[in-house]
Amino acid sequence: MSASEYIIEMRHITKVFGTNRANDDITLQLKKGEIHALLGENGAGKSTLMSILFGLYDPDEGEIYKNGEKVQIKDPNDATALGIGMVHQHFKLVECFTVLDNIILGKEDTKLGFLQKRAARKKVMELSERYGLSIDPDALIEDCTVGMQQRTEILKMLYRNNEILIFDEPTAVLTPQEIDELMQIMKNLVAEGKSILFITHKLNEIKAVADRCSVIRKGRYIGTVDVKTTSKEELSEMMVGHSVKFVVDKDDAKAKEPLLSIRDLVVKSKTSRKNAVNHVSFDVRAGEITCIAGIDGNGQTELGYAISGLEKPDGGTILLDGNDVTHKNVRFRAENGLSNIPEDRHKHGLVLDFTLQENMVLKRYLEPQFQKHGFIRFDEVRKYAEKLTEEFDVRSSAGVDSTARSMSGGNQQKAVVARELDHQHNVLLAIQPTRGLDVGAIEFIHSRIVKKRDEGAAVLLISLELDEVMALSDRILVMYEGEIVGELDPKKTTVQELGLYMAGAKRDTEKKED
Amino acid sequence: MKNFFSQLVKKEGFKSVLSSILCILAGILVGFIAMIILACLNERQSIGDAFYGLGILIAGPFASGTSAYIVSNLGNMIFYAGPLIMTGLSVAIAYKTGLFNIGAAGQFLMGTLASLSVALHINCEGNAFLGVIVWIVAVLFGMMAGMIWGAIPGFFKAVFNVNEVIVCIMTNWIAANIVSWAFKGMPELVNAGSGKSGYLITTESTFNGTPTLGLNKLFAGSYLDLGIILAIVLAIVVFILLTKTTFGYELRACGANKYGARCAGMSEKRNIILSMAIAGGLAAIGGALYYLNPGIEFKFDTAYSRLPDYGFNGIPVALLASNNPIGVIFVGLFIRYLNMGGTNLTSAGYNNYISDIIIALIIYFAGFSMLFKNIISKLLKKKEKQPTLAEKAAVPAEPAPAALPDNAPEEEKKEPVSDEKAQEGKEA
Repeated sequence: MSASEYIIEMRHITKVFGTNRANDDITLQLKKGEIHALLGENGAGKSTLMSILFGLYDPDEGEIYKNGEKVQIKDPNDATALGIGMVHQHFKLVECFTVLDNIILGKEDTKLGFLQKRAARKKVMELSERYGLSIDPDALIEDCTVGMQQRTEILKMLYRNNEILIFDEPTAVLTPQEIDELMQIMKNLVAEGKSILFITHKLNEIKAVADRCSVIRKGRYIGTVDVKTTSKEELSEMMVGHSVKFVVDKDDAKAKEPLLSIRDLVVKSKTSRKNAVNHVSFDVRAGEITCIAGIDGNGQTELGYAISGLEKPDGGTILLDGNDVTHKNVRFRAENGLSNIPEDRHKHGLVLDFTLQENMVLKRYLEPQFQKHGFIRFDEVRKYAEKLTEEFDVRSSAGVDSTARSMSGGNQQKAVVARELDHQHNVLLAIQPTRGLDVGAIEFIHSRIVKKRDEGAAVLLISLELDEVMALSDRILVMYEGEIVGELDPKKTTVQELGLYMAGAKRDTEKKED
Repeated sequence: MKNFFSQLVKKEGFKSVLSSILCILAGILVGFIAMIILACLNERQSIGDAFYGLGILIAGPFASGTSAYIVSNLGNMIFYAGPLIMTGLSVAIAYKTGLFNIGAAGQFLMGTLASLSVALHINCEGNAFLGVIVWIVAVLFGMMAGMIWGAIPGFFKAVFNVNEVIVCIMTNWIAANIVSWAFKGMPELVNAGSGKSGYLITTESTFNGTPTLGLNKLFAGSYLDLGIILAIVLAIVVFILLTKTTFGYELRACGANKYGARCAGMSEKRNIILSMAIAGGLAAIGGALYYLNPGIEFKFDTAYSRLPDYGFNGIPVALLASNNPIGVIFVGLFIRYLNMGGTNLTSAGYNNYISDIIIALIIYFAGFSMLFKNIISKLLKKKEKQPTLAEKAAVPAEPAPAALPDNAPEEEKKEPVSDEKAQEGKEA
């Protein structure tokens, strides 16, 4: 048996949580030297399956084989001993340590109790060169871009000589360029004999790098297909169970008066002397989806903070429906018609230790519907939360009583979107609204945003996903180094042209002085 | 019955209570081991003394000798629990807002200063009604002084982002010095008789002490008064405030995620200051209740050099109660119960210091409550796998609302909806 063609085989894995079969008889076979994609919707059971492989859960039924031999994986140490490494969706790095320290953490060489970093550094730099993983070993993690943090995670696995690498939704946090880089890195890794399990729900990426793809749906194994001979449409149908449209249905925008006007807005950067948002002016009109496109870190986050009221701008004005709200607080803006789907759902969107129902009224608990004389009307809150979760298909283990922390990222995002879309508003600020969602959920949320537009709301979409920008927007503003460098019509432009603007290679406007 | 039990063990509250009990048992066990070791080291003691000591410790005030002592010690145990509950509440409410109120000692002292300054200046002899009014005013003054004192670290935290622990420690010592200094300036309040020096007169001579409602007669020979009832009522008020009101909702939101709270339009600065002010007020009421009892004397001349234990003991009380205000009541009583047992340990040949060490060990273990809670959660998870599927089908889905008893089990059969994200989220 030892000459098995599979380096890792998970046979008939079943895992039950309470009354819910998270994994139901799933078989997964990873060949040596292949990139094997694991495709499924949010909450289909992908992460559970990988957690079993990584030793975080015991399976209730089923066996795991490595090179044809049965193995027991009781905890992550067993997994590491078997050469299995994982890059988690949310990185497990020590923010105030350097890249090098993070890589060697837990596997430090010491002499007489003193760290021997020189040898470690040499090995890390060798690995970094060999696989094209550019890093700065002395930079602190907190100063690194997300891409470099991810490369640090990959180097951590390589430093431990892992041969089976699990990537859990690695592209969710990356810019398009970083995604291309990662794809190349993955190909390099496989060329050097590593085997990769690639968890994702993005079909383009599977088509780009994967050799084979296993699909699971609602905890059940649907099948394994050869990626080259299977179309995107077929894959998505396997994943969601019905065919999915990749184009958002929408009529032409009927733009009316501007509801949100930004005039000469300046936000100083926290990290450098430059302005993060440099004298930006634009209008967002009713009945139109205006999109800010750009590579991450070009001032979109700061722009979002300034508009939502989380941070005070250093200059310029923000007009909401004609009122100057530049110096008004978040609540004033919310009460005057601004809804905000924040970029970071963990930090800004949710209170993770609150229950789902408590999170659903996070902005509305002061409305008479939900409180009386300062006492929260929990029965009303529950009813409302149940209605919303039903409408937006937010799934959780204990209904509206589940804590937000216990929900998967996709469902957390759906909860935030549900809350913000249901909130009475005439301006919707949506920052990365479909981050971490599967195609089915993206389709649904896109259609809801379009519906909001058709009802007369002004939508400002800030997105890093080019597909989303092209599919959803009526007007594209490209942001580069804190400035709007171009306005494009999505019907007349191409992704390539958009890319040129995003990279700063092309601009329609004059560069402004700080 | 089995269903009831399996439902019960899944409740967060149950896990908290169980972990607290385990903490206490572990603490007692370690205390017992310490007693054995000490008994072995001391030639005048035998191992038997350790077992005897354990019995005394567990019996608390009930091992106080004659029945008269038992009654008075029981009453005093309850009386001393009152201020402890107040400082425990103070720490707990601040913690719910994400703040560590280590300044309860200073707030307790400021409450003492303000309330005694009012009460001891007004002699209400012969006018019981006036006595009650003055008492109420004294408690309110104490509370306000504590609120201001608590708001100071809150203000620095909210506006300048200065760590509240540092400011709390500073305000503690400032309070201690202010108290000594202020009373030194009120010679009319100093107890000149009785041969003691540095003590204030008590409400015994001004006739405006805390009303006893006959409790001190029920527990003859004890100090017991209305204070404990007020402490329990306030614990319930804090509980309702935190769990039922929009204000409590805001406090908890700010404590759990201040960025999220800010993004939802709440003012986290305002909430931090308010939370610390309330915490300060609660601790100060503790100080007021303690020293407004006619039997308790305040030694002001050395107050500047020593912070009151009550201030710091509020921290383990809150911890052991998992910051639940109702839990604080029971834990406060329990700690005093243990203390009473500790005091009685001398009869087993252990001196006072040893009994303090043993009590400290038990309190120390309070800090492990989170650890125990995690262990319980893990054990429960392992056990969850074991019941057969048939058994599970009989039990409706755990969160099934009462309104849908019929379709809940059915739904679960036809669609194993993948809400395993509950687990997914955890490791993310």
